[in-house]
Amino acid sequence: MTTYSKLVDVTVCTGCRACMVACKNWNDLPVETQAYSGGYQSHEKPTGKTWNVLQMKEHETANGGFEWLYRHSACYHCADAACEKVCPEGAITYGEFGSVDIDQEACVGCSYCVYNCPFDIVELADYVTEDGDVRQRAQKCTLCEDRLQEGLQPSCVDTCPLDAIVFGEREEMLKLAEERLEKAKQFFPNAQIYNPPGVGGTKMFYVLADKPSVYGLPENPEVPTSAVLWKDIAQPAGKALLGVTMMGVLTGYVTNKLFNKGEHHEEGGEVDESKHG
Amino acid sequence: MKHTDCALIIGGNPAANHPISMRHLQKARDERGAKLLSVDPRYTHTSSKSDLYAQLRSGTDIAFMGGLINYAIENGLYHEEYVKHYTNASFLVTDDYAFDEGIFSGYDEGDRSYDNSQWVFQTDDEGNILKDESLSDPRCVFQLLKKHFSRYDIDTVISITGTSKEDFIEVAETFCGTADPNKTGTIMYAMGTTQHTKGSQNVRSYAIIQLLLGNVGRPGGGVNAMRGECNVQGSTDFALLFHLMPGYLSAPNASENHRNLEAYKAAETPSGGYWENTPNFLVSLLKAYYGDKATSENDFGYDYFPKGRRNYSHISLFEAMFDGEIKGMFTWGQNPVVGGPNSRKEKKAMENLDWFVSIDLWETETAAFWTEQSGADPTNIDTEVFMLPACGPYEKEGTVSNSGRWMQYRYQAIEPKNDARSDAWIVHNLANRIKKLYEGENNPVAEPIQALSWDFGQGDYPEIDLIAREINGYDLKTGRTVESFAVLKDDGSTSCGNWIYSGFYPDAGPGEEKNLSKRRDDEDTGMDNYLNWSYAWPLNRRVLYNRASADPQGNPWASDKEAIWWDASQSSWVGHDVPDFGADVDPNSEGGTDAFIMRGYGKASLYSADGMTDGPFPEHYEPYESPISDNPFSKVDLNPAVKIWDGKMNDRGSVSEYPIVATNYRLTEHWQSGSMTRNQEWVSELMPYMFIEMSEELAEEKGISERDKVVVESARGSIEAYAMVTKRFKPFKVKGKKVHQIGMPWHYGYQGIATGEIANVLTPHIGDANTMIPEYKAFLCDVRRANS
Repeated sequence: MTTYSKLVDVTVCTGCRACMVACKNWNDLPVETQAYSGGYQSHEKPTGKTWNVLQMKEHETANGGFEWLYRHSACYHCADAACEKVCPEGAITYGEFGSVDIDQEACVGCSYCVYNCPFDIVELADYVTEDGDVRQRAQKCTLCEDRLQEGLQPSCVDTCPLDAIVFGEREEMLKLAEERLEKAKQFFPNAQIYNPPGVGGTKMFYVLADKPSVYGLPENPEVPTSAVLWKDIAQPAGKALLGVTMMGVLTGYVTNKLFNKGEHHEEGGEVDESKHG
Repeated sequence: MKHTDCALIIGGNPAANHPISMRHLQKARDERGAKLLSVDPRYTHTSSKSDLYAQLRSGTDIAFMGGLINYAIENGLYHEEYVKHYTNASFLVTDDYAFDEGIFSGYDEGDRSYDNSQWVFQTDDEGNILKDESLSDPRCVFQLLKKHFSRYDIDTVISITGTSKEDFIEVAETFCGTADPNKTGTIMYAMGTTQHTKGSQNVRSYAIIQLLLGNVGRPGGGVNAMRGECNVQGSTDFALLFHLMPGYLSAPNASENHRNLEAYKAAETPSGGYWENTPNFLVSLLKAYYGDKATSENDFGYDYFPKGRRNYSHISLFEAMFDGEIKGMFTWGQNPVVGGPNSRKEKKAMENLDWFVSIDLWETETAAFWTEQSGADPTNIDTEVFMLPACGPYEKEGTVSNSGRWMQYRYQAIEPKNDARSDAWIVHNLANRIKKLYEGENNPVAEPIQALSWDFGQGDYPEIDLIAREINGYDLKTGRTVESFAVLKDDGSTSCGNWIYSGFYPDAGPGEEKNLSKRRDDEDTGMDNYLNWSYAWPLNRRVLYNRASADPQGNPWASDKEAIWWDASQSSWVGHDVPDFGADVDPNSEGGTDAFIMRGYGKASLYSADGMTDGPFPEHYEPYESPISDNPFSKVDLNPAVKIWDGKMNDRGSVSEYPIVATNYRLTEHWQSGSMTRNQEWVSELMPYMFIEMSEELAEEKGISERDKVVVESARGSIEAYAMVTKRFKPFKVKGKKVHQIGMPWHYGYQGIATGEIANVLTPHIGDANTMIPEYKAFLCDVRRANS
């Protein structure tokens, strides 16, 4: 089956942040004005209301050079997604265009996905239900699945003036990434592709200008072992033995015990104290 | 830009402010391995995408470019054949021209102005310019140029620009490498170049190096002004500047030279070059203005047209308003309380108005100048303020003209909200109502208004096709629109509102629509010219002076840099672009190498005998407020031809009191004075606060920490804002001493969602010697941590 991916080549990004505005515009997301950051970057990281953030960093290279690095940060749409594994409601599924989707009506706001995302992307935010109630639901980039269904590109892709963000069939994107990498290496000797295998590869992947740690990214993120055990072994077995209803009751208890925030960040990501640009 | 081998980006930040241009540069990089050089006082978004960033103290462009000119000549890195055939390098200058200690001949110290009659070329008895094709005569332009810029040696240059020697040499080697006929280099600039007391000469210095390198009129070459607004090109084409009429005809003034139509024609029509047609363009324009009331008996209504008596630039107007001479004002999509220099003075000046009309999308800072929120005392202000709500760009239709002179039609997307009206509606109704007010009156004041032809239909909205026909011009006998300005006449038989646009609405009978600005054929017609997409003035030419893309014999200088070439079998110029040259002028015939057809003598000006008020060559002077007192190039610190405004509320700061250089700029997220973007919440959240950027070194000296509030003070006033301490700013080494520079966006004001203090409170009333554009980009200040 054809799979799709979004490639982000940060080495040609100019930091214009049109992707941020296009995302809020298409998805009609609320503003989330932050306190003064001390730099050009507006938000620390993606949130439930701000689905992509352009992260900036002033970076002094080992040989005394200086770079102002940019990174469009949004949901990675992992091929083997921790959030999907831990969701007790089965609200998280894989879409036909490579997205990891959260069914807002099925989500109960339990936050397990929030705690288990290896990239700290998904967050709870207000959602107005079909009944008109405001509830806290897990929200993040949808890869503009609604646009993809209509034959359009994701809005961030559509708006990027430098084609730093592109979307297409995964094989083509992987090939393009290799081509882009060759060019990027002329300017950025440490440039590399970031498509971590520990999460089965990501459907949003990068050409980075430098090592992942420079961007504060985990070098080799993985789906937490506990999540794999739970989703792939315990849950199916439990459902077979106890029936779906009983399993649902147990889910809350067991997942609370199994998963706690923080266990997924120790796979090589450096804690970066330097300020963003 | 896609065809360039090297882009020198100076005085501009296209990655932030002209993002689409970066798309083309990225292609040049990917496809040709083009080099990007960023020369700027601070490390910008553009620098982050460049092969080299070189630091330049704000206000030292001419020193830097003079260094490049000297480097090119000294090292033989210039395109000799191009220089010989297409520029005025060989022209001999009279012995009257001299340059000594920073002053050109013909200077009047009392007037602070030059008499340029001392800068002319030597001629024979018949008026032909004398030349030395060997370029060796000491009075030829090339030798004078060489001598003038020989003083710009690398060490002297970098001692005041603050550039490192290594970086300067790398820029010089890389950019001057485009002297190779197989290569082209482009210069991209914006307001960081022009907003100086020598802004026009800054651009001249770019033109000179580009002519030496043979980079004008060729794909991937040029001196490219990146326009700061989507239609600023259109605005200047249509006479937004006070000294011009549409199509860059000089606006008549009250001088003896312009006392009547014949005098104007004599004074404004050069012998030679395309401006020979000035009378045809002017009379056709007068026919557009005054219709049947323009006859040969009344000089085609020339006397109806108001004659300027003084300089009406922005600073001059607000100075006059401050002095109580101006009683009423319209601001139309303009916000001087934020965008004007010395804005506190300009806001104060507005209190002298009897009436004021603000035409805008929002209540801007200017519209609210009288409110308590603005810091004013409304009880002391008698101005009657009117606000006319205007349409946004998507609520109206019409054209915009971009930096490439493409006139592109835009359709209305949505209906205007509430009472908002398009600019065309507002001006149409104003004109009709003013004409009605003067109906039946019999006096000299009423006459020009009654004579004004205003035939854009009977509707509430003017008919855009009728406006388009008037701009394009038409034959008054047949009523058909003209195909080109070449057929315009000075006998009153043609009418044309703007000759440079003649041809965009060609050969259309009355009622017939033929608007080429609506064309949307996106097929590349060769070398990315897209000749069937929209319309580029003049006559759909995409690259001006493209005759220079071919060698003197008419062959392209390089096979991958083709634009037009001479096809002997057809006896015609052919190629990828519309020739900006006589289509059948044989390269070997007389005038066959006069590539610069608008110039009187067909050659580009390395030496400008009559174009500039402040000298035939650029010369480095310090900004009005400078951190140094000893200009190494001469004893003259300030451009000797600038007008100095010495009225109230416009003090000049000295380095002893204000030791820090300051500059200002725009951000990607906000636009101009922010009235459109600071009222848009998604954009505002990305850049919510006013800030001051400074180096870590300055912050440490001043005890300022990240996110502190700081006070910046100049001789005009002070503002408070957040500190942004960054590695992107570094102190300069100027004449061996450390000089700090700070920078700030100028978008903020007290209205809208994202608010902040106004940067232009700090800037002075002082402008360029030629254009009066304010010197926003280099002034002095001091900075300290705010008391918490």
